[in-house]
Amino acid sequence: MDFTWTKVLELALLGLVAGGIGSMTGIGGGLIITPVLTLVFGVPIHHAIGASLCCVIATSSGAAASYIEHRLSDIRLGMTLELATTVGAVTGSLIAGILSRGMLAVAFALFLIVAAGVMLRRRSSTTPPGSEEIGTYKVRRLPLGLMGSGGAGVISGLLGVGGGIIKVPLMYLVMGVPFKVATATSNFMIGVTAAASAFIYYSRGDVQPLVAAPAAVGVFFGAALGSRLMRKVRSGRLVLLLSCIMFYFAAMMIWKAYQEGFFR
Amino acid sequence: MTRLSEDKAQTAIAAVLRYGSLVSTLVMALGLVMLLIRGLSAYPPLESPAPVGVVVARALRFDALAISELGLILLLLTPILRIVVAATTFGLERDHKYMFIALGVLVVVVLSIGYAMG
Repeated sequence: MDFTWTKVLELALLGLVAGGIGSMTGIGGGLIITPVLTLVFGVPIHHAIGASLCCVIATSSGAAASYIEHRLSDIRLGMTLELATTVGAVTGSLIAGILSRGMLAVAFALFLIVAAGVMLRRRSSTTPPGSEEIGTYKVRRLPLGLMGSGGAGVISGLLGVGGGIIKVPLMYLVMGVPFKVATATSNFMIGVTAAASAFIYYSRGDVQPLVAAPAAVGVFFGAALGSRLMRKVRSGRLVLLLSCIMFYFAAMMIWKAYQEGFFR
Repeated sequence: MTRLSEDKAQTAIAAVLRYGSLVSTLVMALGLVMLLIRGLSAYPPLESPAPVGVVVARALRFDALAISELGLILLLLTPILRIVVAATTFGLERDHKYMFIALGVLVVVVLSIGYAMG
């Protein structure tokens, strides 16, 4: 891929949009960045995931800071589960290193389909999560939580996503953590989890500065913008639109992998 | 030494995340803007992966490519600094259980970096 100033600006714009949509809908930018980089920009998927990991750190840090300031993150629970997410992330990044482009694209597409499905279901559920009061709670089933967090870490390191779509239900439904706290704590863990695998991507040459830096700068400002816009835009329609786009991306990624060969 | 209050610990952790990501984003943006002004051809290509020492040395000579890459490295280091600050604050709070948990996370990440560098 050639680098011209238009390319750099396009990548920054992609980051801005992905970061904005990500913070308005609650999905990280990772689910948008990687498909667009591979399908539109023609970036090899390993480089796309390397860039996505950087974007995930850039978006989650600002949000995590304000969640902590609002006392919504359970820092102790977060750090405990990070023992598992980081080990998982290292494992995931090593698996990504041995997978062919086609196989990694198919794995990403399958995760996109699941994530889009979860978003649609959450949208149609009648009780808006997050409306409950945060009282005192006791963390239950920690061993199960650690195992699930390890799995979320593998997905994060393999596909370059934050993995909130796994960790939030895990803490909320399995471990008995209030939804708001689960969301904030999941976000708290994202940066460290992504950093654990990002250095392995970096050492393989999969973090290309001219792809990752413009996208990360865009995402950082996009996320800040998105969290201000959030109160003005109704996110229900946005979620519906986004899940349709995610299904489309998944189909295109599988189609591209089929055309180029799964094992190349 | 006085015990560190929970509030101060949380403020410190939040500050690392906020300013770490802000500073690294600004460094990346500076590199990219310089790149846009002077053009990519003004700078010799940077091998990938570039050794951190080379990146820092070239960034200090105002090499735009190296400055962008330095920003990325700072971004990847921000969460790790957050673990260090968390471990320190847990230690100051005399919360030894969580201090060791934070150190455990740090060990995993440092081993990962060691593996990546080696």
